[in-house]
Amino acid sequence: MSQETVSEQVDEAPLFSWESWDRIKYSEGFVFAATTAFVLLWSWLFSRAPITSELGGYHSLATTMLIWGIFALGFNLLLGQTGLLSFGHAMFWGGGGYAAAIFAIHISGDPILVLVVGTLFTLLLAVVTGVIALRLHAVYFAIITLAMGQLLYYLATSPLRPITGGRNGLTGVQIEQLFGIAYLQEPLPGVFGELWVNYEYLFIALVFVLVVVFVNRVRKSPYGLIFRAIRENERRTSFVGLNVWRYKFAAFLMSAGIAGLAGSLYTIESQFAGLSSLYWFTSGEVVIMSVLGGVGSLFGPVLGAILYLYFEGVVDGVAIIGRYWLLMLAVVFTAIVWAYPDGIWGMIKSGGAKVRAKLET
Amino acid sequence: MIESAIRFVYLSLSIASVYILVAIGFSIAYGSLKFVNMAHGALYLLGAYIGLFIAFEPTVGGTLGNYSPIGLALGFTAAIVLVPIILFGIGVVMERLIAKPFYERDMLDQLLVTFGILIIIQELVAVLVGRGGLSYARPDWATGAVSVSGIVSASRWRLIVIALTALFLILLYAFYKYTDFGLAVRAGTEDAEMVEMLGIKISRPFALIFAIGAGYAGLAGILGGSIFTVQPEIGLDILIPALLVVVMGGVGSITGTILAGLLVGATFTATASVYPEMATASIFLLAIIVLSIKPSGLFGTDEVVA
Repeated sequence: MSQETVSEQVDEAPLFSWESWDRIKYSEGFVFAATTAFVLLWSWLFSRAPITSELGGYHSLATTMLIWGIFALGFNLLLGQTGLLSFGHAMFWGGGGYAAAIFAIHISGDPILVLVVGTLFTLLLAVVTGVIALRLHAVYFAIITLAMGQLLYYLATSPLRPITGGRNGLTGVQIEQLFGIAYLQEPLPGVFGELWVNYEYLFIALVFVLVVVFVNRVRKSPYGLIFRAIRENERRTSFVGLNVWRYKFAAFLMSAGIAGLAGSLYTIESQFAGLSSLYWFTSGEVVIMSVLGGVGSLFGPVLGAILYLYFEGVVDGVAIIGRYWLLMLAVVFTAIVWAYPDGIWGMIKSGGAKVRAKLET
Repeated sequence: MIESAIRFVYLSLSIASVYILVAIGFSIAYGSLKFVNMAHGALYLLGAYIGLFIAFEPTVGGTLGNYSPIGLALGFTAAIVLVPIILFGIGVVMERLIAKPFYERDMLDQLLVTFGILIIIQELVAVLVGRGGLSYARPDWATGAVSVSGIVSASRWRLIVIALTALFLILLYAFYKYTDFGLAVRAGTEDAEMVEMLGIKISRPFALIFAIGAGYAGLAGILGGSIFTVQPEIGLDILIPALLVVVMGGVGSITGTILAGLLVGATFTATASVYPEMATASIFLLAIIVLSIKPSGLFGTDEVVA
C-alpha cells in the first residue's frame, strides 16, 4: 500500500527537484553510498583511467592518499568540530604505526589484530596525553601537544632504540593473510584487478568508508553538536551545565584513535615504521592538509590530503617547477587561511551554490 | 668540583642565550599585541643567512649558486652590527603587512597563517641558496679558548655569545623600565583599550616592540648560526624550543622568558652530562612538567591564556 503511494508521488513530481536533492544529499545513506562509489573508482580513476591518469597518478599513491585521508578526517574531528588545534598528532599516527609494527613483528601479523592493537595503543596514549594537554587552551594546547609529540620522537630516536630501531626504523613487518583467505598483496583477478589491483586496496577502502560513516555520524549526532558548541563558545557551553572537559576529552580520544588507525594502516601498507612518522612536520602536514581542504566540512580534509600528496608525489617529479612544490603549497595554504578560511572544499561548495542559484531562477 | 660547576654554568648559559634571544621577541609580541607569530622562526633564519652574506663570500647552491661565491665580505663584526638593524626593518614591514591585518582575527588563524609564511620563507631561501648546510668562519678574535678565573678554559666565542646576550637583554630591560615607550608598552600589555582611552596611540610602541623582537631574532640568527650549521630548516628547528621557553616563562613576561631559558639551558646541560641520549628529550619533558603544574607558565597571568 504505502509503496504505491510513494511511487505515485514520484510520478507526479518533476524528474528532478532541488528539494529532493537536498534531502538526499544530507542523508547519511547518501554519504555512505557516495564514499563507497568514490573509493571503488578512485584508484582506477587516479592511476589507470584513459584521460584522468594522464595527470601522473599511480596506484600506490592512490592508496597512500586514502590512508592520509583517514588521518586528516580524524585530525579534523578535533580542529574542525571542537576547535582544538593539535600540533602533535604525529604522536598518534606514528605511535599507532610503531605499535602495529612491533605487534606484527613479535606477536601476530593478522591484519585485523594489527589494526586493533595499533588503535588501542593510540587510545591509551591519548588518555595519558589528553589529561595533561586538555587543561590548556588555544595556543598553549597547540604548543604542549607539539612538545609531547617531539618528546616521543626523541625518545624513539635513541633511548628506546632497542624497541623502535632508532634511525633505521622497523623493517620487515610481515602481514599475514586476511581472515586466512588471501594475502593483502595478492592481485585481484580480471576486471577487479583493473579496478582495485589487490586485496590491500579493498581492505584500506573498507576502513576508509567506515571512518567516514563514523565521523559523519558524530558530526550529525547531538553529541557532535556539543563539540561544535564548545568550539563556538566554551564558557557558554559550560554555563548550560555541560561538562566541557569530558566532551573535549572524548573528541580528543576519537581523533587520536582514528589517527592511530590510519598510522597502523600505513604500517601495514608500507610494511615499515619509521622515525619521520613521529617527527613534528608530520603533524604540520596534517594541519596543512585539513586547512587547505577546509576544516568546516566532512570531505574537505580528504581533499586536502589528496592535493598535498599529489604535490608531494607527482608535482615534485615535474621538471623545473617540481622543486617548488612545498613553496607552492605553502603559498596556497597561506592565501586560504588569510582570505578563505572555508578551504578549497568550501570554495567548491559556494561555487556550486552560485551555479545552482542561477539554474533555479 | 668548582671546575665542573663553572663549566656547567657556562655551558648552560651559552645554550640558553640563543633560545632566550629568539623567545623574547615572540613573547613580547604575543603578550602585548596578542599576536602569535610562528614566522618569528623565519626572522632567525633570515638573520643567519643575511649575516652570512654580509660577513663572508660563501659558495652556495640553488639559484644564487650560479653567481657564487657571493657576498659582501665585510667581516663578522659588521654583520653583528648590521643584521639586527636590517631585521629591525624587516620587522617593521612584517608588522605592517602581516601582523596588522590579523590583530582582530582568531589566534588560531594567526598561528596558521604565520606558520604558512614561515614555510614560504624557508622554501624561498632553499630555492635561492640550496638546502646544503653552510657555516660561519669565526674571526681570530673569537676563536680559541679563554681561561675562566684561572681554573677552567672555555671557548672564547661562547663567552662572547653570553656577553652579547646579557648586554642586549639589559638594554631591553632598561627600555622597558625607563623609557616612555616602554611604559606605554607595559601599560598596553595590561590593558590596551584603557591606554588608548587615555589618549596614547598604542599601535606605535607596539610596532616598535615587534620590530625590536625581530632585531633580537636576527642577532640570535648570527650567534646561533656561528655555533650550529646554517640551513633552511633552522628557522623551524629553533622555533620549537623557543616556543617552549615562551610558554614556560609565561607569555609577555621578560623575566619569565629569561628564567625559563636558563632553566632549559641548565636541564639540557645536566641531562647531557648524565644521560646524553635524553638531552633533547629532557627539554620537552621539562616543558610538559612545568605546564602541567602551572598551565599559564611560571610568570604568566591567566588573562593572556584565552
